[in-house]
Amino acid sequence: MISRVAGCCFWMHRYVERVENLARLLRVNRSFLLDVPEGVADRWFPLIIVTGEEPRFTELCLAGGFDPPRKKRASVPPRPLADLRDDGEVVEAYLTWDERSPVSLLTSLRWARENARTTREVISLEMWETLNDLWVDLGSAKARRRYASDRDLFYKRLRDGCDLFLGLSEQTLLDEEPLDFMRLGMWLERASQTARMLDVKHHTLGPSRPDHESPVELAQWSALLYSCSASEAYYKRVPSSPDGRSIAAFLLQDPALPRSVLGCLLRARSTLERIRQEGRPDLGDEPAAMLDGLLERLRARDIDAIFGESIHAELTHVIDTTTAICGAIDRAYFDPGDQSALLAS
Amino acid sequence: MRPALEARCRGSGGAAPMRPFAGPFGSERADVSALFPDRGAPISACARERRGTVGDVASAKQAPRRRKDETSTATPTGAGRRPDRGESAPRGKRPRAPVFSGYTPLEGTYDELFADTGRARSGIGPVVRGIDAIGEQELRLRQRLADGAFLQSGITFRVYGDRRGTEKIFPFDVIPRIVGAKEWQVLERGLEQRVRALNLFLADVYGDERVFRARNAPVAEDIVKGSTGYLSAMKGVRPPGPRGADPVYVHVAGIDLVRGPTGDFLVLEDNLRTPSGVSYVLENRLVMKRVFPNLFTKVRVRNVDAYPQKLRDGLRSLAGGDGTLAVLTPGHYNSAYFEHSFLARRMGSMLVQGSDLFVHDDRVYVKTTKGPRRIDVLYRRIDDDFLDPTVFRADSLLGVPGVVRAYAKGNVVLANGLGNGCADDKAVYPFVPELIRYYLGEDPILGQVETYHCSRSDHLSHVLANLEHMVVKEVDASGGYGMLFGPRSTKKERAEFATQLREKPRSYVAQPVVELSTCPTLTKKGIAPRRVDLRPYVVTGKSTWVLPGGLSRVALKEGSYVVNSSQGGGSKDTWVLASDDSVGAAGAVDAAGSIGAPGAVDAAGSVDADGGVGRSSEEVGR
Repeated sequence: MISRVAGCCFWMHRYVERVENLARLLRVNRSFLLDVPEGVADRWFPLIIVTGEEPRFTELCLAGGFDPPRKKRASVPPRPLADLRDDGEVVEAYLTWDERSPVSLLTSLRWARENARTTREVISLEMWETLNDLWVDLGSAKARRRYASDRDLFYKRLRDGCDLFLGLSEQTLLDEEPLDFMRLGMWLERASQTARMLDVKHHTLGPSRPDHESPVELAQWSALLYSCSASEAYYKRVPSSPDGRSIAAFLLQDPALPRSVLGCLLRARSTLERIRQEGRPDLGDEPAAMLDGLLERLRARDIDAIFGESIHAELTHVIDTTTAICGAIDRAYFDPGDQSALLAS
Repeated sequence: MRPALEARCRGSGGAAPMRPFAGPFGSERADVSALFPDRGAPISACARERRGTVGDVASAKQAPRRRKDETSTATPTGAGRRPDRGESAPRGKRPRAPVFSGYTPLEGTYDELFADTGRARSGIGPVVRGIDAIGEQELRLRQRLADGAFLQSGITFRVYGDRRGTEKIFPFDVIPRIVGAKEWQVLERGLEQRVRALNLFLADVYGDERVFRARNAPVAEDIVKGSTGYLSAMKGVRPPGPRGADPVYVHVAGIDLVRGPTGDFLVLEDNLRTPSGVSYVLENRLVMKRVFPNLFTKVRVRNVDAYPQKLRDGLRSLAGGDGTLAVLTPGHYNSAYFEHSFLARRMGSMLVQGSDLFVHDDRVYVKTTKGPRRIDVLYRRIDDDFLDPTVFRADSLLGVPGVVRAYAKGNVVLANGLGNGCADDKAVYPFVPELIRYYLGEDPILGQVETYHCSRSDHLSHVLANLEHMVVKEVDASGGYGMLFGPRSTKKERAEFATQLREKPRSYVAQPVVELSTCPTLTKKGIAPRRVDLRPYVVTGKSTWVLPGGLSRVALKEGSYVVNSSQGGGSKDTWVLASDDSVGAAGAVDAAGSIGAPGAVDAAGSVDADGGVGRSSEEVGR
């Protein structure tokens, strides 16, 4: 397929996956906070951190970017940063609606649809209509009302729409190259998103201490399980009462869990292998080697050794490497430069 | 440091995710295009509910109530006629007021559907009566369904200059424009003749230049070569194609037609470069079929679906190799992107951008995930100027370096050909009838609008003296821009244009105002006459084919003559009838019945659940 179009397919699914994950995270964080007494933890800012939006958000706060439109006479002093950081309404609005944020639900969905629009000749009618509906709905007054009155439902709708889209792509497309690139984008994004979710814990309550776990910490681990739709799977897997370490291990390393970091990376690896087998295997050598390296490292990690301080570093490594793998895929498949050399050979 | 989420739209490029839109796009610019679903797309849940309502209304169908003070000329057919309840109700509030009950054509203007109030044009009577029978209220419902279908399937066009990427639907009117079968045959021959002559003209201009040396030359050399569309670089380049056949320059032509008060079709403009809008023709039809399913089962309207296949086959018939075809688009920021995507999908071809292609050894390749792949035909929707930065505008990011050399070597078919702009130039237009005579030795079948070329001093003084009654057009502008519409202009505007005309007479042509024909159109206040034009599409490969239909554009504002979508225009479905005076096989319908009067419904049979004509499907043909 055309290189650029393959890139659009890859990114389309990445963006949809991103919307899905962020909607999960926002939804779960709200309910988690109900169990946490005020002042115990940073309540909302961790979400800004794990999405990588800390610099932009801080800058906007300092520049008065979140102040209500000023009335002429009343000079309201700008709200202090600490106040804004912990204001759920500000953070949620930023991550949901803000066009200034490149990762807000609105922005991501726009780009997802834009990629779909650009590849209309590749995707199915059902996929297009689902994504278009989702986009039209998000821009409607109805969605604003839903957001105001029933936020849980608002996020659920978004998730459902994304899941429908992802499911439809499996059901309506030929099981060929375009779908493989979509899957590849989805798995890599999901791996990185799960890693980010796991990191929320670190930024909310600080590093875990293996010997002592507070109820609030446990509540957050459970919330994370829930945001990965992994609670029930976890209870099946771990018969004893839940604890942070086994939850972290489960989300990070269980190959059978569809949202675990390792599981996603394994599926990404086999998808990449299919792409290589269908085409010129040599093109994908670099990303394949990088993925193999990451998988090996992740498998070899002993959770007891990293639980605590170093899990944050480990997650950061996963996220950075995933980004680098995406870059390698981009060079290999989506932005190949002049292919004249391949003609000569 | 927390890694940021990468965010990017496309696979290529670093900091700037999108290529900027590099400039105005000639004929593409004014037009709109859309993203279209494949056939048989479901209407939205909301629309389906609506349809339920439609059924309910229809199941409680009533005969139209006859007003006491009115006598109808319609003859009750007896069969299927329901008892008249004799109730009187104010006109317009009756649920089944016939569509055309209040319709009066404009004085001194040709109406597409009506010869006179209540009297349909000959040949199309039964169809008009079928629409009439739907009832105005019901028609409004169908209009809403159609609008919803366009929005739901994302059939929108992008508004330029709007940074947030607002997309709008191209306004659509559900009342079709109908062309009789005999009338269409003439049109078809006329279009084919015109395109044939223009092709020969282009081959001559870039070939032997016989035309300029002929005695009584039909057009002067300086006019043709002075046109911005003339490309001296194309001199001596023969477009790829089978040996022995005339070379094809105009693979796709969109010829804009209007009708004056006499009812004759007149050519207003030739579009021989990248005419757009054909996706609308196909999409409008799909939506019409969804919204009026039963009407279509009973009316023989010629099919427009074949267009993409005809285009693909026509283009491939000129190519060598595997005939691998790609549509070349400037990108998804272009207002016509949806059309490009639509055509690629329907032709089963690739949709490429300039950056996807490269030229090696004078052959064109597309970069794929499996290495380079050869391209034999490019249906390019990029203007000449932007096509190849090594030959034309060096700053173009949209084009393909080296593609013109590949074309000149005969290694890739470009459709449309390069340099066509000198044949559809407004300055050359006045001479086309002469060109037809010169190349074909035939009289032109289609007339055209009288045109004054301001470079001629006698013409210029005539134009200046009659500015109020003229339409003045800039030669290089399109889309209704750079235009003075005399009767609606202010004194100041006329003075400004007069100065312009004196300063740059070569840049302007002028035409007397044509009283464009009207077609009944659904407006807020009721059914009213609105002015329309027609753009049929002509496809030429080894042979020429005229799409039986076309884009009917309608000036939705009352009294307006400007049909461009950028200036308040909309579109209508164009129905070319397979045979005149027929409603499918149900030829028994009384053709003499009047339209718009109560009782007319009965003349065409009762209205069924879908608002179509006919008694019931079993009865059709009796």
